[in-house]
Formats: sequence, structure tokens, C-alpha cells
Amino acid sequence: MLAVARTFAIVGVDAVPVDAEVDINRGLPSFSVVGLPDAAVRESRERVRAAIVNSGFEFPLRRITVSLAPSDLRKAGPGFDLAIAAAILVASGQLPASLLGDWAFAGELALDGRLRSVRGVLAMADAAGPDGRRGIAVPEADHADAALIEGLAVAPLDSLSALAALGRGQVPEARSNGADARQSAGKEAALPDLAELRGQPALRRGLEIAAAGGHSLLVVGPPGSGKSLAARRLPSILPPLSGSEAIEVARIAGVAGATRPPRSRLVRPFRAPHHTISPAGLVGGGTPPRPGEISLAHRGVLFLDEIAEFPRAALEALRQPLESGEVTIARARGALKFPARFQLIAAANPCPCGRGESDPRCSCSPEQVRRYASRVSGALSDRIDITLSVGQPDAEALAGDRPEGSAAVRRRVLAVRERQAARLGDARTNADCDGDELRRTAALGRGGLQALRLAQRRYALSGRGWARTLRVARTFADAGASDTVGEQHVLAALALRDRPEAG
Amino acid sequence: MACAGCLRRGLLLRELAPRIAQSVDRRTGARARDLLALDDASLRRAVGAGVGGGGGVGELRAELRSAGCWAGCRHESDWPEAIALLGDSAPRALFGRGARERLSLLAGRPTVTLVGSRRASPYGLDVAASLGRELAAAGLPVISGMAFGIDSGAHRGALDGGGLTVAVLAAGADRPYPRARAALHREIVREGLALSELPPGTGVCRWMFPARNRLMAALAEITIVVEAAERSGSLITAEMAGDCGRGVGAVPGPVNSWRSSGTNKLLADGAAVIRDGQDVLDRLLGVGARSVVAEGPAPTPDELAVLDAVEAGAAHADGIASASGLDPDRAAASIAALELSGYLSADRSGALRRTMLPAPGGGPR
Repeated sequence: MLAVARTFAIVGVDAVPVDAEVDINRGLPSFSVVGLPDAAVRESRERVRAAIVNSGFEFPLRRITVSLAPSDLRKAGPGFDLAIAAAILVASGQLPASLLGDWAFAGELALDGRLRSVRGVLAMADAAGPDGRRGIAVPEADHADAALIEGLAVAPLDSLSALAALGRGQVPEARSNGADARQSAGKEAALPDLAELRGQPALRRGLEIAAAGGHSLLVVGPPGSGKSLAARRLPSILPPLSGSEAIEVARIAGVAGATRPPRSRLVRPFRAPHHTISPAGLVGGGTPPRPGEISLAHRGVLFLDEIAEFPRAALEALRQPLESGEVTIARARGALKFPARFQLIAAANPCPCGRGESDPRCSCSPEQVRRYASRVSGALSDRIDITLSVGQPDAEALAGDRPEGSAAVRRRVLAVRERQAARLGDARTNADCDGDELRRTAALGRGGLQALRLAQRRYALSGRGWARTLRVARTFADAGASDTVGEQHVLAALALRDRPEAG
Repeated sequence: MACAGCLRRGLLLRELAPRIAQSVDRRTGARARDLLALDDASLRRAVGAGVGGGGGVGELRAELRSAGCWAGCRHESDWPEAIALLGDSAPRALFGRGARERLSLLAGRPTVTLVGSRRASPYGLDVAASLGRELAAAGLPVISGMAFGIDSGAHRGALDGGGLTVAVLAAGADRPYPRARAALHREIVREGLALSELPPGTGVCRWMFPARNRLMAALAEITIVVEAAERSGSLITAEMAGDCGRGVGAVPGPVNSWRSSGTNKLLADGAAVIRDGQDVLDRLLGVGARSVVAEGPAPTPDELAVLDAVEAGAAHADGIASASGLDPDRAAASIAALELSGYLSADRSGALRRTMLPAPGGGPR
């Protein structure tokens, strides 16, 4: 007897359909799995056998061959358990064949037959949609993920024995159903609010401009100057994720095994890897390749605190993704692409001792400061649009009135984003513009051009420096609802430049 | 043309440089300037060198030509008389790069030596550059040693001010030391002079720095220490200036900064207080005889508010916006405008400070 169950393997951040073909035939009782299985897939034999027996089914004492097709694709992980078990039960006549025609399967089996959660269910559900089947059967724990795909039936199973009911056409009720999952996704979890950033009007405004134009940002200041406090509040003033963006984000998180609570589905991801991270951990890698922090920050914010402490190789690896919005992991078997369109915010001390060379207590030599500054800006300086310099706010400033909260700032950010989208199309921001497009669209006024020319002479601005200043100036103009970029906008942008020429 | 006898002394020093380096010993107190005060034969004996040796003067003249250098000796008319203040240790010849005529500009007019720490603070750099600029613009030659920090700031300021600046180098005048100042060296040679007591091609030894310092001290009417910690070599220059009867001045610094402890001590010991170029001009030429020119463009009301905030101690846009009451965008635009017009400068981390450029109608002082 032969039966075929549909399941999925995760390749990169995509799910690829895999058929679990089961043949039960005469011969000495045996149970083998072919089709490039890894250790976890081979061990699936033990889990499937025990789960079938402990769920009240009968394990056929015959020669059982499982082939996972396509057979040249490496299979990894325990996610094929449920499909193999279902195909065995159908092949041995214990469940009706219609079960396999109606449903795809994903899930890991416990020895007592309960189902355990697997990585990448959302990607699998997404791939199951265009499959012609009614829906996908998944572990109950993963139901909320799968339910994000509209128009797809999802059968949440608590254990293998629930397959019997599903075979009779009874779809189990989820403890929380899909509509709930979608609805609660619409409400946002409370985020850290910008109102807590007191006494630092320029830092708040810099953050707002960065959010409005999608600019990458470096904050330089001594310890205690509110750098990471500010960075953690960036997601709260960014526009919420759109439905399809939320699914992209959840897919990547699911594949990486990092689940996001349903209530924060529309919140932009915020990732803050420690500086001891390896280049592979940051941009993705490993065998099989898994997405790195920059892909987990896709459509969201990547915060690199103490950027000078990151290994240079890791920062170099960020250059290509910052430009193209995706990262390519090249392997002998072919290249994988992970999405990585994130907004970078970095923080650094002003010098190795942290006080800053203008502080009389600073004990760093000019050479140390120079070396430190080159580590800060070295690898990424031409990819960072805005540099904000902050000091420790004084007690008086901290005791001031409660400033504007995130909601009000975000409304302005949204309006500025709309202006950019109207000019550039396609939900693009000023930060996405290269030099040519900028020249065409920025509408640099006379006064603005003069200021930019003066700065170019005075600071020996490179072509990239010119473009960076113009991009930020364009955002200031958009924030002021101005069609042309004027002198004030260029000057405000110049104040947010990095200053490698100093000292 | 420099006479052969004086040139021979230069050749001797070049030949004996490594031996002098061995003889100079901090523990025994043997000092380069004492050795340099000896006549040729005694010097050879003192450093344990045999008689004779050394290339000929003719070869040295050829070397000078190929290195683009010239030599001047004490028997020539453009020789700076002030060198004689060094007594027995006075060099008999100087080797230089840059237009020879400029050497005579050092005589018969007040000159200033600016020295200070290589590990200078942004404050020290600002003051050095602004003193260099103001004095050079007022027509005073500015002498310094082209080291990192204060020295470079002083030369750069003098070049900006469009005046004469002279780098007195420890080793050969043809080779920039430190190497990282090669660009500055080129500019100084083009606009001013690079001088040395040692012939071109001499390698750098430690003893040459205090030896060079005595030249800087003697050449200028006043030696001003811009910023120095308590054990800085520039304090030795000040001491030498005092020894040969020249003036000593110092720029006051924050009393809680170790970088200024040396200059503050000089002031406590009676050095002239130098706050700006005007203080120097008043001292050398008489009060009110000549005044420092150059002030910046008139600031706008926004810019004035920002300047007030910076002068009151705000170094970052946050503090400036809070103190000036301007909204952050206007504050940012004014900061950038003030940087462009030279009223503000920033360190590498973006911390802002007021430069010494006076504003029309009453500056920051």
C-alpha cells in the first residue's frame, strides 16, 4: 500500500513542498527513511513509532519505506513527523485516503502522541495556500502563525489521535481562532514611549527626522546620555507594519525560531545584538543557512550599541545589505537571499574613556581618539546619513515638563512619509534615493545650493557626503512641507553630519 | 655663501650624532647643550670619537643643492643675531628649506615662538591656531617645531593668517618629522621656512629635540607655551627662553585639567598671561600700537542666541536648543551656519566650542 502526505522543508526563509511517500509492503518488519534526511529526520522513526502506538493506533509490523521527495533536497529537523505518521496510518488503512488529499501537515511528535511546535509554520502555511488542498494541519501552538494567511483552513491538532476526527471531516476548534489572531494583531502592544526622553529636544528631533526619512543614524555621547534609551524608542514613532509586511516579518521570525507575541505583530522589529556577535550571527549563515540579526530586523530597526566594539568584519558585512535591502549567503550548492531591509541606529562613546576629548577629565591621547573615531565611522561612515552628538542632560532639563509622546510624533512621521511616497512612489523614503535620483527630485533651491557649495569647500565634502547632506536636507524640507530644499534645510542637515575633519 | 669652517661644524655634528646620543644620559645629567658648547676637538674627545673622518665641505654643498636646501653661517649678513644669545652652544651654521630671503625677516622685528603639548586638547588647538592666525596676520613671524598638537595648530593658524611661519626641525630641514606632517611641511616650505642646525639627511635622535628647543627659544622675542602638562618638553623651551633673557608667556587653562597644569604653573611663577594675539602685540610693540584685525560676519539673532548658549557652557545641540529657546531645527541650522563662518568648531565627537574669532561689536570677551 502506498500513501503520499504533503509537508514542507524550510530553505532560507521559504518553505519548499516536500512529499512524504510511504510504502508498506511484505517483508521483514523494518522502517527506513530515505531522501537526504539529517539525524533529526532519521530519528523521526522512533518518535513516529511510539506516537502511533501510544495514540491507540496500530503500528504495522511490515516493511515500511519512507521517501522524502524531492530526494536531492537536504531535509533537516523534526517537522516531518506528522506527515510521515499520517501517511503510515493511511497506507495501513487506519485512516481514510481523503485526509491526505485535503490537508498538508507540519509538526513534531512527542512519544505520547502530542504535537510539538516547529519552526517556520507561517512560511509553510504561505506555501500551502496555492497548493490546491483545503488547508494545513499544524500543532495547536503554531495555530496563530498559520492563521495569518487568509483563505486557508488551518487545523490545529493537539495530538496524533486528533487525526481520526480530522479524517472524518471534523476540524478541531482552536482555543484562539484565526480571526482573533488577526484582530489582536491589529492592536499594538505598548512600546516604550518617546515621552520618557526628557530635556533632549535635539535628540528627539533627530530621531524623528531619521524615522521620517528612513535615515540610518549614529548617536555619539558619553555613558548616560540617553543613547540606547532613544534607540529603543525608535520603533514607537515608525509607521506600523502593513499587513503584508507583518507577514514577511513573522515568516522570518518563525523560520529563525524567534516567535513574536501576537499583540506586537504590527510593531516593527527591534534587534539589538551584542558586540561579541560573529559576522554570521549578524548577517546570517551556518549550515543550513539561517537568517541573522539583520534579517530578523527586516522592516524594523537594528541597534548596534558600542559600534566601535563590533568586529570590523561584521560591520563590513553590513555594507551590502544596507545598500540592497537583502543579504546573499553564497554556498557551494547555490546562493540564498535573505531579506534585510532595516533601519540602522548605532551608538558610540565620544572617545575610549567615554568622557569626550573636550572634557578636561578625558585621559585619552589624540592618537587614541583618532583611532577610536575611525573604528566608529570606518566601515559604515558612508552608509550613515545622520550623526547626532549628545551630552549628559542636566538635572534641570530632566525635571522639565513631560514632552510630546510617541503617538503625536508618529503622526508627523506618517505625514512626511506620505509626502515622500507621493514624490518617489512605492512607499519609498529619501534614504532610498541614490545621488542621481536625488538630483532629479530634491528640488534644491538657490540658498540651499549656496550653503551646500560653501560646506563642500570648507569641509571638502565628497560626492557621497554631498548626497548624504542633501538626503537629510530633503527630509527636513518634507518635514516643513516645503517643495524646495532651502538654505535652512541644508544647514539643519549639515549640523547632523559626522565631523571627521575636526581635531 | 656659508663659509667652510662653519659648515664643517655641521658635518661634525652629523657624524657624531649617534655618539652624542650615547653620551647624553638622563641619569648622569649629561646634556646635549653642554656637549654642543664644546669646540670640535673637545667634543670629539667627550663623546669618545677618534680624530678626523667626515665628508668634505664640497660634497656637503652638492648634497644641499640636490636636497633643495641652503646653508647660512654666522659670518653672513642675514644671520639672525639672536642666535648669539645661546653663547658657546650657539650653532655656527643653519640649514634651511624655503626661500632664503625670508631668513632676514627674522631679524630686526619682533618674533614669537609658540610651543605646547603634542597631546593637545581641542581648547589648546583652538588657541594655538587663533594665536598663530592673529600674530601672522599682524605681521609677526611665528616660530614653532611642527610637532603634533599645539605646534601644528600654530603653523596652520599662521598659514591661514597669511603670514610668515618658521618650523625649526630637530633633524634635517629636508625631511618632515613627524612623517605624518609631510603636507604641513610642504606648505611651510612654500610659504615660510624650515630650519635646522643639522645638515640635510641627518637622522632623528632624541637629544636633538632639546637642542632644537634652545634655537626656538633664542630666535623669538617671546616664547609662549599654549598648553602643557607639568612634565612637558615645552616647559624646557620656556626655561631656555628665560635663560637667554627672552620673554616667556603662557596661556591660562582650566585649573582642573592636567593638560594645562604646566602652563598654569608657569603663570603662577610669573610668566606673562597670554589670552589672545592682542596680549602679545601689546607686550611686544607697546599697548595699542597695533591691533589684531579680522572679525567674523555679523551673526543673526538666532545665531547670537546660540553663541550665548555655547559661551554659557552648552556643547551639544540639546543643551543649545534648551538654553536658547530655539526649536531644534532652527538651533541646528544656526549651529551649522556658525561653524561655516568660523565662530564654532567641533571635536571629532561633535562636541561644540566657541573659537576665538571675535564677533563685530564685542566678541565673547
